Amino acid sequence: MRGEIRQIHPRKGGGSPGEPIPRRLAVIMAGDIAGYSRLMNIDEEGTHARLKRILREVVEPTIAEHHGRLVKTTGDGFIAIFDSPVEAVRCGIVIQQSMVGRNASVPAQQALLYRIGVNLGDVIVDSNEVFGDGVNIAVRLEGIATPGQVYISGGVYEQIKHKLVCGYQSLGDRQVKNITDPVRVYRVLPDPAAFMETQKRREIGFVVLASIVLLAIAGSLWYTMRPGRDLNVARSSAPAASAPETSRTTESAAAIAPSAAPAISPQGTSPASPQAGSFSPATPQGASPQPASPPSASPSVKEPEMAQLPGGSFSMGSNEDPSEKPVHQVAIKPFALSKFPVTVRQWNECAAANACEFTALGDENAPVTNVSWTDTKQYLGWLEQVTHKPYRLPSEAEWEYAARGGTQTKYWWGDQLQAGMANCKNCVAIASASADFPAKVGSFRPNPFGLYDMGGGVDQWVEDCWHRNYQGAPNDGSPWMDGDCVSHVIRSGSWKNDASYVRPANRDHYDTGVRYPTHGFRVALSP
Amino acid sequence: MKLVRLVMLGMVLAAASSYAAFAQGTPAPKDAALYFIWPLDGATLKGAFWCRFGLRNMGVTHAGDTFPNSGHHHLLIDVNEPIDSKEPIPQDKSHLHFGAGQTETRLELAPGKHTLQLVLGDAKHYPFNPPLISKKITITVK
Repeated sequence: MRGEIRQIHPRKGGGSPGEPIPRRLAVIMAGDIAGYSRLMNIDEEGTHARLKRILREVVEPTIAEHHGRLVKTTGDGFIAIFDSPVEAVRCGIVIQQSMVGRNASVPAQQALLYRIGVNLGDVIVDSNEVFGDGVNIAVRLEGIATPGQVYISGGVYEQIKHKLVCGYQSLGDRQVKNITDPVRVYRVLPDPAAFMETQKRREIGFVVLASIVLLAIAGSLWYTMRPGRDLNVARSSAPAASAPETSRTTESAAAIAPSAAPAISPQGTSPASPQAGSFSPATPQGASPQPASPPSASPSVKEPEMAQLPGGSFSMGSNEDPSEKPVHQVAIKPFALSKFPVTVRQWNECAAANACEFTALGDENAPVTNVSWTDTKQYLGWLEQVTHKPYRLPSEAEWEYAARGGTQTKYWWGDQLQAGMANCKNCVAIASASADFPAKVGSFRPNPFGLYDMGGGVDQWVEDCWHRNYQGAPNDGSPWMDGDCVSHVIRSGSWKNDASYVRPANRDHYDTGVRYPTHGFRVALSP
Repeated sequence: MKLVRLVMLGMVLAAASSYAAFAQGTPAPKDAALYFIWPLDGATLKGAFWCRFGLRNMGVTHAGDTFPNSGHHHLLIDVNEPIDSKEPIPQDKSHLHFGAGQTETRLELAPGKHTLQLVLGDAKHYPFNPPLISKKITITVK
């Protein structure tokens, strides 16, 4: 009773031990290392040192980044509070993903795996402690979590389900020790692939169950129906690739066999992967590879045709659109840029080596499309591996410098739109133009630097993060990378955009990891 | 018991039919609705503002994900052409894409009257069938 009275009349001069501790709604995260005592048994000092390092380098900064507060750490665990459920769960995912990276370099028995539980509850927060049922539930969630996973309560799920893009698997209601009501538990699946897996497992289970039920209704009209068969047929959605026509280069035909498994496998990055091993590094002259490797159908990789660009200074931007302002002077060092956007044939060499995630459809000499900025990195990583040259995306400044070809006019050929100069919507009708695919690369005239399709054709990813205008842009031609990089710059405009997008100064942006049917890229190389 | 059997049968049929339509023209639930939480139709706004997207009876997901009954937002600014359901939703300065599953954006429009409209796109950026489109709202930026 006395305690309640004290709450109504709080004493002045905060910090005194008698002052009531305020209650608040908070998101509580509990984490601990799975099998900690086992690890301590194996290597006490080493485990302790590694755990301290992980706390300092992964857990603490990640919590701070997500506007949380680390309330306390115990031997192998920690408790943190957050104001936002979205931030808390994101933080959990980031910690788990960082741990995957950390564990990659140590033997499996020594891997440190966090179990993380997140709950939303009304708690009492002290300076270095937090009390209440809400905390207990978070700790229990953590206790039942599979190592490496984040489990959340129904309350958190309700808050984040439409805000945080990842999968959630319901694990049903769980009775939790010392808590009267059962707690609804969800497993967070940050990786869409994992989500699909569980979906599929559930689907299979469902189909099996359904089939049994169907069979049980013997004598019904539906007896012959087999849903399992129907489902598979319905899945093939994409149109078949057009028949391959004779290509300009003959060596690649074998590479386009639709064998590339779309599975995301880390094989491609391993230098010892059998496919990659059979590529010999091509020389600039395109010398034929040594037939030393077994006579499999693996092709030699032809390097992209590059144009050597001189260094120079130019005025970047224009006054036509707010995003292109202010016009500013940029100095560019000499570099090389591919004469054409990366083609379907080139992309599919990467796909055939299982280094690129999907096999592109369409004419071999059409630019590859439907690639995200992230996808371009797969291709570049593979290209570097097989050529031993650090191919990269151009910076935005390099792209515009190259597209201008030494001119400062609206288009590289002048201030007026001219027929037959670029592959854009309503610009000009050419025989090979279609609404669904861009024209083959090199179908239009090159600019003064000898570069084709710098404007129109396909949108082209560059290295830079998106910034809404050039306030604060670098002036040395380097990519502008600060800021949050959820979105990267695209240049050139596509065959589906009108003439204003063909201007070398035009710029736009798109979500980094998202594919869109008009987006492609070209590659650059520093000398 | 009969009722249970009928229900199960119905579920099986529903599952089969929902898979049949993974290609273009992904079906949307009949009761799904796309709307602006903010701004309101006819609003007058000063300078930059947050535009918030509402979606009922469906989920927002990353472009490329084929989870049933989910899609991603597209915001059409001052677009007069009707949506072509046989084409991917265009990508340009008046068709903003939110393929990472965003449900809001900060807009800075030139002073004057503007129209805003939302279109939900499927995994491959195609409109749903029938297209799931919000009411086109008109706002004035001062």
